[in-house]
Amino acid sequence: MSKIHDSDLVPYKVETREDTGLYNAKFGIWLFLASEIMLFGSLFSAYILLRVGSFSWPVQSEYLNVPIGALNSVILLSSSIFFIRAWVALKADDIVKYKKFMYLVIAFAVLFLCFKGVEYYQHFSHHEYPKTSVFLALYFLMTGLHALHIIGGILVNIYYAGPGMYLRAENKQWFINRVEVAGLYWHFVDLVWIFLFSTLYLL
Amino acid sequence: MEQVPHKDEFKRDIRIYFTIIALIALILIIHQLHLGILGIALIVTIAVGEAAILGYFFMHLMTKKKTIHLVLLLTVIVFLTLLFWPAWDVFYSPRTPSEFTSY
Repeated sequence: MSKIHDSDLVPYKVETREDTGLYNAKFGIWLFLASEIMLFGSLFSAYILLRVGSFSWPVQSEYLNVPIGALNSVILLSSSIFFIRAWVALKADDIVKYKKFMYLVIAFAVLFLCFKGVEYYQHFSHHEYPKTSVFLALYFLMTGLHALHIIGGILVNIYYAGPGMYLRAENKQWFINRVEVAGLYWHFVDLVWIFLFSTLYLL
Repeated sequence: MEQVPHKDEFKRDIRIYFTIIALIALILIIHQLHLGILGIALIVTIAVGEAAILGYFFMHLMTKKKTIHLVLLLTVIVFLTLLFWPAWDVFYSPRTPSEFTSY
């Protein structure tokens, strides 16, 4: 008698559902991203409310390091395009290339966090903390939450580039779908940064 | 990320990549010009454009199913409500300068 694997009991992991036209993980990630939009949306809303409700507001670019913010935008955008290349290589069964691009994604994400760390260090060395002003409280909250998303993404990417590769042997298409879903999350994190950079650094 | 892109799609992705970088450079230039309210409007518009390009091409929203468009439409409605309802409330609530807080 053949053993039934747990993963065989999960439906629509590769094939698409008739009602949604998507496999479950992809539908799931889009619902998750929708909830993420609500999360960051509420923070942007708080930012607008506090800004328009205040008598005076600091010139944000005087507090923040705009060149580092711009550089981080390019770094994160580059990691996004590396992720696309990694996924394409995976679909083409080119595992060496897939791993190479995934490591590049991880390296660029770590680089992003390093620059973010430099910025935070500059603030702390000038005695600028979340308690200093409402603007800085929002800045640390929003960029800190975004950095946590980056860290989460890095962990997932490390898993799919290394220890999680055994899943590919189990079901190749399922693994490709998992990486695709991780990629959608990664592009979303990049998308959020575009708004954070524009709003917090430049307005 | 729906189908295996061929060389043309790779070239397209590279073009999009440099387009977004050019838009980042553009908002930095606008920021340096100190245009006031016009500058804010331009920077927000361009940022929305960048995000739309990224979502449309990198997240392949142009090829996605109606289900995703519906989920995103509902999300955008809630997002815009979250964004503008409080601001509208602040704008239309009568206040004296002493009621404002200085940050």
